[in-house]
Amino acid sequence: MADGTLLDRAGARLTKIRAERTPQDWVIDLGPFVLLFLLVIAFSIASPNFFTVSNLVDNVLRNSTILLLVSLAGTFPILQQSIDLSIESMVGITGVIAAMLISDYQLGVLALLVAVIAGTVFGALNGIVFAKLKIPSFLVTLGSLSILSGSALLLTGGTSVPYRDPSVRWVSTGELIFSIPNIVIWGLLFYLLMTFIAFKTPFGRYCYALGENEEVADLSGVRVDRYKIGAFVVSGLLCGVAGALLAARTSSASPGMGTGLLLQSIAAIVMGGTALTGGVGGPHRTLLGVLVIGVLANGMNLVGIQSFVQEIVLGFVVIIAVAMSMDRRKIDIVK
Amino acid sequence: MIGTISGDRSLSERDEDAADTAAPRLEIESISKSFRSVDALSDVSIAIETGEVVGLVGENGAGKSTLLKLLTGIHRPDSGRIVLNGSPVQIDGPRDAAHRGIAIVKQEQDVVPNLTGYENLYLDQIPDFTRFGIVNTDRMRSRAEQVIEELGIELDLAAPVSSYSFTERQMLEVSKAFSESIDTDHPIILLDEPTAGLDEDGRELLFNRIDELRERASFVFVSHELDEVLEVSDRIYVLKDGSLVDEFDAATADESMLQRAMVGRETADEYYRTSRQPSIPSTADVALRADGLTVAGDVDDVSFSVRDGEIFGIVGVEGCGKNTLGRALCGVDPPDGGTVHVHGDPVDPTSLGRMVETGMGYVPKDRKAEGLLLYQPLTMNVSLPSIGTERTSHSLGGVGSLLSLIDGGKEREMAAESVEQLDIKTPRLDSLVYQLSGGNQQKVVLAKWLQRQSDVLVMDNVTRGIDVAAKEEVYRVCRELAEDGVSMVFIGDELPEVIGMSNRIGVMKKGRLVDAVDAPVGDKPTEEALIEMMI
Repeated sequence: MADGTLLDRAGARLTKIRAERTPQDWVIDLGPFVLLFLLVIAFSIASPNFFTVSNLVDNVLRNSTILLLVSLAGTFPILQQSIDLSIESMVGITGVIAAMLISDYQLGVLALLVAVIAGTVFGALNGIVFAKLKIPSFLVTLGSLSILSGSALLLTGGTSVPYRDPSVRWVSTGELIFSIPNIVIWGLLFYLLMTFIAFKTPFGRYCYALGENEEVADLSGVRVDRYKIGAFVVSGLLCGVAGALLAARTSSASPGMGTGLLLQSIAAIVMGGTALTGGVGGPHRTLLGVLVIGVLANGMNLVGIQSFVQEIVLGFVVIIAVAMSMDRRKIDIVK
Repeated sequence: MIGTISGDRSLSERDEDAADTAAPRLEIESISKSFRSVDALSDVSIAIETGEVVGLVGENGAGKSTLLKLLTGIHRPDSGRIVLNGSPVQIDGPRDAAHRGIAIVKQEQDVVPNLTGYENLYLDQIPDFTRFGIVNTDRMRSRAEQVIEELGIELDLAAPVSSYSFTERQMLEVSKAFSESIDTDHPIILLDEPTAGLDEDGRELLFNRIDELRERASFVFVSHELDEVLEVSDRIYVLKDGSLVDEFDAATADESMLQRAMVGRETADEYYRTSRQPSIPSTADVALRADGLTVAGDVDDVSFSVRDGEIFGIVGVEGCGKNTLGRALCGVDPPDGGTVHVHGDPVDPTSLGRMVETGMGYVPKDRKAEGLLLYQPLTMNVSLPSIGTERTSHSLGGVGSLLSLIDGGKEREMAAESVEQLDIKTPRLDSLVYQLSGGNQQKVVLAKWLQRQSDVLVMDNVTRGIDVAAKEEVYRVCRELAEDGVSMVFIGDELPEVIGMSNRIGVMKKGRLVDAVDAPVGDKPTEEALIEMMI
């Protein structure tokens, strides 16, 4: 039978009931756009330096790239209704590994690749412990958060690891295309890749299915464990990329350089529309959340709000974003 | 509070007070209720006399649930009134309803498994059993014991509810409804699909209780199982599309009369499409073979085989292991012993994922918790088992299918094909499935496996909780599948259905397959014969 007519005939059978959209659906879909727009307008009025090419590209975009990578990393576990709390120390240890390989072993750009592989391995370990031993992901990754940050401190003796290698630095700060910093290009590439993975691959599809109802996925023949581990592998890989790029950008790495990224990334992910209840949203939406956080931080700096206050603001942003995005049809009770 | 006020007045004492009431116990006077623009109920009037059991039947969406929700105060009527003992009342929620003597036994069991029976019985009244903040468990327990004793229900109230069987939990629910409405003369107990999931024994027990308790209570009995409604009720109201279309005296009505009223057409005769049941030649290939399948504690050394195009029914009382057998066959609950062959090849019954690749599919008992991604689009639900196969992948000269990149167009076609084939009523192809009615949801579960082109289906209560018209559709689909050579293991609690649909029927008892009965057209075993083997 011809394809077009099949769809047409099916279309003719569809009943006339309108799918109901709740106000919450609209808030989740359009909220981040509106918020971003309002923030840009507000800061443009408040500070003459805000809406300039140099500020938007050099500060907002460049400073947001690490957050983007880490937020993309966290998106996949959250999409599956798990969570990866170890991303901060994952960034720290992979950065430290890269910096030490460059300064002590002169591995150069290759060291960045090793850092990415290391992140992937750590992520896989997180995932295997979580999926195979059936330990809740927040506990596994809370443990590895401590293990990895302790290991990074042990490796470095608690100090920062500087190095001199212009080719490594170029990976992040060079301007291969127009005058866009390479780090922004990296961010964009991984953003597109993750969006593609989310929509076009079985792995991406199963992330949504698992997040919605793991039992149903299991009873549909999905090899659930495989894809649960996969989410943490992706998370580790992207944290490795973030660690490597951060080390490249600053020509040094320190165990604590990921500090603060966890809360910011959860804010970005949730604000983008990937609810902690799983199954909705995705990496494509996470970019929006990252931009909101990036613009907020940059704007607050420009108008002279001190960093302590910024931290308080961020805390509120996280709670409000979670409150607005939770899918309450799915859960009645929160613990 | 309820418990303390009623204090030591026993149910039987109060019977005498209630003996002569002139007005009907409960009247619903031309009630209407609409949600947004949809009329859920329009101008419905019902009367329930003291001591009467009133049946309420209708297809899904006919307005039965709405009516129950109005009676328990969850919704308010838009117009019309509810009259109790001749005086109009406004019901402000389930607690208020219970005070006025209306209590409900819900479709889903509302029990907290780790608490004891008596704690569950008085869960919302625990503060009334406390003194200085300390719970007097002895008093709670003895009150609970007294209640169930008067109801003639036997339960170990000191045991945690997790140790109860399904039937015992249901009995606890019934007791709870009585205890909630205990301080009114003659409570009205609403039973919403109380037999769903109950086995024959459980039903028997429940019906006995209803019969005995009608002296001291009135019942509204809502069920899809028309034979039960006929058996239990005095009068039966039929709802269709929110209106009351008919009222029957249960003594003179039969199933086909009810069905006609509900559906608006004749259905009973060819309900199971038995005329389309083929006889399976003994030369047909064996599609599924189980040898010595064992699951510790549940299934004991079960062997059988199912041929191409054959429907093999499995019946047995609750706890006989038939559900576990279904799960073990598919590798959902991996068996502890035994082998499974699909199309002659041995399969590894430890992973459904691997079984699916051999052509197996599993339709679980609980479609909402196990069968559907309720808040995801229909398209995604239908394609879920087929993701990663070439049926949903881009061709792209081999590269796409190598990576199994999902082709959204193929996915939509797949959904469209199922919507047409199974006549799924849905607003859009990508509607979220929680918006569909139960029958249409069940068709989506079937569509998942049809689109995966599974040819050995294990189905656990495939028509559970769906209305007559949807059941008919499911039976039609099963017949068509069988004609295409698909084999089915048809596990069911509804004996007439299993008898009507199956070519052969396996009877399970205490984990063992005690018999396999032929059920050819024209020579089907009777319910009684099967029950005899089951117990």
